[in-house]
Amino acid sequence: MDENFQEEFTQIIKFEPPLYKQRYQFVKDLVEKYKPKKVADLGCADCSLLRMLKFCSCIEVLAGLDICANVMKEKMHTLSPLPVDYLQPSERSLTVSLHHGSVAHKDPCMLGFDLVTCIELIEHLEESELKKFPEVVFGFMAPSIIVISTPNSEFNPLLPRLMLYRHPDHKFEWSQAQFQSWALETARCYDYSVEFTGVGHPPTGMEKVGFCTQIGVFVRKYPQTGESVQSEKPTEAVYKTVFKAVYPSLKDEKYLQNAVISEVIFTAQIIKHRLMSKREEYGDDPERKSKFQPSMDYFSDYFGKLVVEKNMEPFVSGNEVYIPLATVFSFPKVNRLCGTFENLCKLIAGKVTLNSDGSAVMFNIEHENEEN
Amino acid sequence: KTTGLQVSSGLQDLCLKDRGGRRRDFHDLGVNTRQAMVHVQESKTGFSGKVIKLSTNHFRLTSRPQWALYQYHVGYSPEMEARRLRSALLFQHEEHIGRTHAFDGSILFLPKKLESKVTELFSRTQNGEDVKITVTLTNELPPTSPTCLQFYNIIFRRLLKMLNLQQIGRNYYNPSDPVSIPNHRLMVWLGFTSSILQYEENIMLCADVSHKVLRGETVLDTMHSIHSQVGEERFRDTCAKELIGLIVLTKYNNRTYRIDDIDWDNNPKGTFRKSDGSEMSFVEYYKKQYNIEISDWMQPVLISQIKRRRGNIEGSVALIPELCSLTGLTDKMRSDFNMMKDLAIHTRLPPEQRQRELGRLLNYIQKDDNVQKELRNWGLSFDYKSVSFTGRVVQGEKIFQSGTMFDYNPQFADWTKETRGVPLIRAVPVDSWLLIYTRRNYDVASTLLQSLFKVTPSMGIRMNKPHMIEVDDRTEAYLRVLQQKVTPDTNIVVCILSSSRKDKYDAIKKYLCTDCPIPSQCVLARTLSKPQTIMAVATKIALQMNCKMGGELWSVEIPLKQVMIVGIDCYHDTVSGRQSIAGFVASMNQTVTRWFSRCVVQSRGQELVDGIKACLQTALRNWSKWNKCLPSRIFVYRDGVGDGQLNTLVNYEVPQFLDCLKSIGTDYSPRLTVIVVKKRVGARFFAEIGGGLKNPPPGTVVDTVVTRPEWYDFFIVSQTVKNGCVAPTHYNVIYDTSQLKPDHLQRLTYKLCHMYYNWSGIIRVPAPCQYAHKLAFLVGQSIHREPNLMLSDRLYYL
Repeated sequence: MDENFQEEFTQIIKFEPPLYKQRYQFVKDLVEKYKPKKVADLGCADCSLLRMLKFCSCIEVLAGLDICANVMKEKMHTLSPLPVDYLQPSERSLTVSLHHGSVAHKDPCMLGFDLVTCIELIEHLEESELKKFPEVVFGFMAPSIIVISTPNSEFNPLLPRLMLYRHPDHKFEWSQAQFQSWALETARCYDYSVEFTGVGHPPTGMEKVGFCTQIGVFVRKYPQTGESVQSEKPTEAVYKTVFKAVYPSLKDEKYLQNAVISEVIFTAQIIKHRLMSKREEYGDDPERKSKFQPSMDYFSDYFGKLVVEKNMEPFVSGNEVYIPLATVFSFPKVNRLCGTFENLCKLIAGKVTLNSDGSAVMFNIEHENEEN
Repeated sequence: KTTGLQVSSGLQDLCLKDRGGRRRDFHDLGVNTRQAMVHVQESKTGFSGKVIKLSTNHFRLTSRPQWALYQYHVGYSPEMEARRLRSALLFQHEEHIGRTHAFDGSILFLPKKLESKVTELFSRTQNGEDVKITVTLTNELPPTSPTCLQFYNIIFRRLLKMLNLQQIGRNYYNPSDPVSIPNHRLMVWLGFTSSILQYEENIMLCADVSHKVLRGETVLDTMHSIHSQVGEERFRDTCAKELIGLIVLTKYNNRTYRIDDIDWDNNPKGTFRKSDGSEMSFVEYYKKQYNIEISDWMQPVLISQIKRRRGNIEGSVALIPELCSLTGLTDKMRSDFNMMKDLAIHTRLPPEQRQRELGRLLNYIQKDDNVQKELRNWGLSFDYKSVSFTGRVVQGEKIFQSGTMFDYNPQFADWTKETRGVPLIRAVPVDSWLLIYTRRNYDVASTLLQSLFKVTPSMGIRMNKPHMIEVDDRTEAYLRVLQQKVTPDTNIVVCILSSSRKDKYDAIKKYLCTDCPIPSQCVLARTLSKPQTIMAVATKIALQMNCKMGGELWSVEIPLKQVMIVGIDCYHDTVSGRQSIAGFVASMNQTVTRWFSRCVVQSRGQELVDGIKACLQTALRNWSKWNKCLPSRIFVYRDGVGDGQLNTLVNYEVPQFLDCLKSIGTDYSPRLTVIVVKKRVGARFFAEIGGGLKNPPPGTVVDTVVTRPEWYDFFIVSQTVKNGCVAPTHYNVIYDTSQLKPDHLQRLTYKLCHMYYNWSGIIRVPAPCQYAHKLAFLVGQSIHREPNLMLSDRLYYL
């Protein structure tokens, strides 16, 4: 079933961009504004909102919940990390999970979220579910912010081909007054403040019918003290996790170490390469000399600084080239990855060939010239 | 030809995506060539050789008895346009059609038969419109039908996806356990190729281990390091050379693109037109769509051509270098010995290890509940043990060289040692020749000369002192010397180059292959710098020079008389002008030691076969000049045929060959055999020796079990490998009026693998294919136009 699509299709009034995109954009703007770390989308359907939110760099935990596992499964693989995410692990950590279950049931996996979105969800709930909904979302999950969107029935007469509701599965569609009174009551009950807005402007002259989609943004009035409330919460899990993806991140030591080793060796190779080609300039190849001398190297800045400190200069001894770690550390990329010199040493210990006192990366160049 | 051959395009969307390209029938299903060849109707197997026990990477697919796939057409009244809506409406009736289905919007596949042939279902859209859905049975597909096979492949790919493998290009890879090679900033992912096909007796899954080389840097990073290496002047040129043709992954979606061009006049601030018609800058777009900040606003933009599958609309996509990661290896990397050595450790898996990795995949499949459920729902399962069967190892050939006969050690498939110090069949005297070198390579040049004088007498080559010329190490200097010093009497020019820089080599080859047709030999100074190997190197160079001047080295026994053997291979030049080049070589004598070589240079869109036809005509004329008659048998070994092109070959190229023969004379009707040679095949064979798995020995022929019933095809393992798994070569005889027994054709093919003069051993393909490849490669890489015909009677391109 595809609501986004249906709404678009039935309208004589065309929204540009389409209404569902406007709803998603609304959520995205909210995320940009409040920078929540943990976001849950209730009624996530085919995960299109989640797919969009995974690119928001503030989010570290993203969860979806839906009553229909099949519709979630259909496109859940699009929430998996991309090959590039493995190649260039991001600084932030990100876990995406999908749960199969009902918003009428409490499950501890939904605790601790900063933002919970319920986009076009409540109108699908049976009366009994709708009754439990505030207690589960506002009372139990109790995130700092809740966004609820639902059709505004006053707008419906402007959608001519519409018979009763905008979607056959809708159990009700509320007027502005109905939604607002429900929202205000719920907010009052659970100590939230609420502001009303919406997307899908009515045509000029008919402003009083309100937005096509009405939205309530609920903000918790008091920061939760956690402990006391948490203790009375049940710990029994009732949702079934259907998908979980942990994105590679530099916060994970495994990825950080790989990234550091790779960057250290690569940087050291560049320094070695420069050192060797400098040495070759003393050879008799005129072509080479002229080519390498004025090299507009993008590393040249760092080299300028390097010469200042004597102990940071790379050198050749016998068949070995030594690149001091301090030099490697002075490269911004390495520096940013490791933070401290100690950390650098710790991360590469045993993984990169160093000299005896561990102060320099060592390369053997004996066999190199043979094949190159 | 076959109805129901192509699964409708929508279904292919499920996962059989041919990234950025046309939809193709990769497995050449439905091309049935064997039926036209009466003499192999009964049997296409050979008989000679020793029996060997083999296992392979094929796994039997089993299905329930009386299994069939049911294909339905789904119609809507009133007509519903959108595919998503059509699915939604249909699947309101899951209780009727079941939960296992594949639907593309109009064709529905089900594992079970619905009660009646035509089922009418009623749905209601949300605007209360009633829709009648008519589901009509159109086809009951037996497990062996081409549609069914395509369908299996789709299902299998679904399974791989369920196992959380990542699709890159056509294969699936496991991202969770990469091997990183920090020295070269490479990462290797282990993955699998898979295809399910109807083989001789069974439908089988052919699975193989595949490695994807990925690079831990963006295209922008690469551009930076190119800039620091070559400087401003050659920057754009080098970027184009190194980057165009590479496949990239993007940061924001799971697609691969091929870099077709670099737009230096554009940058991320530039705008593009979105599908809704509005203009937007790249910076803005990536920020808005993916929250990605592009940091370098001065970088150029990469262009990737996309052929839309619907309607074949061509278009292009602009990509930002900073957001693209490179995959695969560049030619430059491939020529980096150290890098390839480091890579080989991880990618060249010996037989046992290869099978173990495959076992792991099958184990995942077996253990995963969801995967098993999906398979069960469709009524399919796999034999988790690979098939075993027997092959034959045909006997080694005798090598003839000037009246002497040699056996080689079959284990090494090499006769370098055996033939050392024996005169060549035809040694061309080197009376007048040039040796060109730079000042710093003077010593190297003298060493080479001395060594050549040492090794040539025993080969029977008479060699005079060369004209030694010292040049500056500049391309123009080499060319000037060539223009001044080459005379009509010059037999050959030898140049010692101090670096492997391509431009110098290209310029020399271009001049000496087109403007001034003289054989030439380029040697890297470095190759000559090691005293311990200089004699071996000089021997090789002497042999190569001899061949380039029209000499002959050795031969094997060819029992057929009046036979002309043709080899064809193609090279597709991606960089300059996208031309295609076909190399064409044809044997000119009874011993198959002399070759006529030509090539066809064709720009994009033209058919190569027209040029090939002309080559064949000239070859026949030359053959008759040499032999005073026309050949009564012609064997064409056709290499360079891509997946899915077999149909074109059978229906277009072969008739052209026949046409060409007809045009020679009304009374001329030689026996023609056309064999498609394929080096890149998924099949691997393992010899079961002493309880372990080993590479099968050279000469192993396989013509049962894993061949295709609708083809006259066989595999030969002709070469040996030091590490990793040996790859068999697949031969598909698509046209044959020779009346030769399969055994004889197999033997002839194997014999021809002994005849490549640049390698005193057995190679992977028949020598004419390798010659054709060499020629096409030289022309495509360096010369870019057809070499002078004066050279066509020599192997000048070796």
